[in-house]
Amino acid sequence: MPDVRSHFHQELERLEQAVLDVSDRCDRMIGMAVEAVCAGDLELAERVVAEDNEIDRIYLDSHDRWIELMARQQPMGSDLRLMSVILHLNVTLERSGDQCVNIAKMAQVTEGLPRSERIVSQIREMGDLVRPMLRTAVHAFIRRDAEEARLLPAMDEPVDRINRNMYREVVACGPDPKLLEWATRMMMVSRALERIGDQAVDIGEQVVFLVTGEYHEFSEEAFLGRGGGD
Amino acid sequence: MESVTKPDREVRVEAKPRDTSDSHETVFEIAGLTVTYGSVTAVEGVNLDIRSREITALIGPSGCGKSTVLRCLNRMNDLIPSARVGGKVLYHGIDIYDPGVDPVEVRRRIGMVFQKPNPFPKSIYENVAYGARIAGIRDLDGVVEESLRKAALWDEVKDKLDTSGMALSGGQQQRLCIARALATDPDVLLMDEPCSALDPIATLRIEELMLELKDEYTFVIVTHNMQQAARVSDRTAFFSIEVTPQGRRGRLVEYDRTEKIFTSPSQKETEDYITGRFG
Repeated sequence: MPDVRSHFHQELERLEQAVLDVSDRCDRMIGMAVEAVCAGDLELAERVVAEDNEIDRIYLDSHDRWIELMARQQPMGSDLRLMSVILHLNVTLERSGDQCVNIAKMAQVTEGLPRSERIVSQIREMGDLVRPMLRTAVHAFIRRDAEEARLLPAMDEPVDRINRNMYREVVACGPDPKLLEWATRMMMVSRALERIGDQAVDIGEQVVFLVTGEYHEFSEEAFLGRGGGD
Repeated sequence: MESVTKPDREVRVEAKPRDTSDSHETVFEIAGLTVTYGSVTAVEGVNLDIRSREITALIGPSGCGKSTVLRCLNRMNDLIPSARVGGKVLYHGIDIYDPGVDPVEVRRRIGMVFQKPNPFPKSIYENVAYGARIAGIRDLDGVVEESLRKAALWDEVKDKLDTSGMALSGGQQQRLCIARALATDPDVLLMDEPCSALDPIATLRIEELMLELKDEYTFVIVTHNMQQAARVSDRTAFFSIEVTPQGRRGRLVEYDRTEKIFTSPSQKETEDYITGRFG
């Protein structure tokens, strides 16, 4: 099919590629941030902050190019939907990067405090659950696969469950104020990972919109009897 | 209301009071419309319902038959000797191609504005009063003022109504043509690329005018400008060209709400056209 808007479509591909680049960085940042906080690795925590600065740079650059493309090209149809989704993903991934920084900062503020290996293992588990969620969301985006995107709410359930139970784990740490301070910081880490999981689900909802042209939250889809039925 | 009485029978195109309710009744029911010019089929098998007090845009590549369909809605194709119209065009339920229907009355109820502004070589006042006078309207001064106001031209010309309509700018001339069409109290205005000869500001003024008037009138617009269709229309019909052993012919591909057509069309052909993936 000849493309009379090939210049625009090339620019759109470049914009999409920038989003995918950010998603790769986010994926690595989640791993680094979780490792930094669990292992108390301050150098790794600093690398997370530096990586987030790079994500912010790409985010701002993509935002400028997005505005320019909208103004110049006035996309329609699937191009318009893709532009909308790229804007959403750009913001969502930038926020995921910010959550990674929040996690990494916890490594810094908990330096020298006692820790609960049980909570550490749950934080690691959350990281191991959240990273595949982000990869699934991005893979669904690349493949324009609504069915794959609809897997995300089920993937998010164990993350939510661990996060909901985290306060019990904190209480179980007992009266040691130092340990309690550390554990309370881990609640924030848990919350940040839970948010990243939610952001992956948001990306999944955007993928369904990109493919179908209809936007619904997955919870609403389940209510309407659409989608994966979870 | 005037109508022509044929020897065998008479069909009246009723001058209905304009519908100001919230409902959007069907103005045109187009069924199986096929138009040929000699041995060439311009457009084939078009089925389309056009609703009152909406702006319906007809879009598609050159040669897809969208202007041909537009011209069928007020029998302008009658003026082309080789044109043959098949199928039905019902206007408020009346077949406008019924031999008993007076085409002049059809064109009074269903006005047309053309690509190039074409004011008569007469004064601004006479341009507007001309059709109204023929239609037997007595209060010409009132009609001229009302029509020019509706066409958003009154304030610019009220002090020079005796000057030639040809002396106006292109955008003003097109609004004068709209005022001229409004003066005969039409129900529908057909617009065939009404802004293609105008600059961007004049174009936006015409679009604003359509949006202001659509509470009172039904508009059908042919445009090559997809952004224009997206800006002004409520519904959009996308026409394309089908290559057959008998030659190229236009056909209706998709008809839906404009926001649907331009964000998530149902047909791949529409999607390819609006995203520029076509040759």
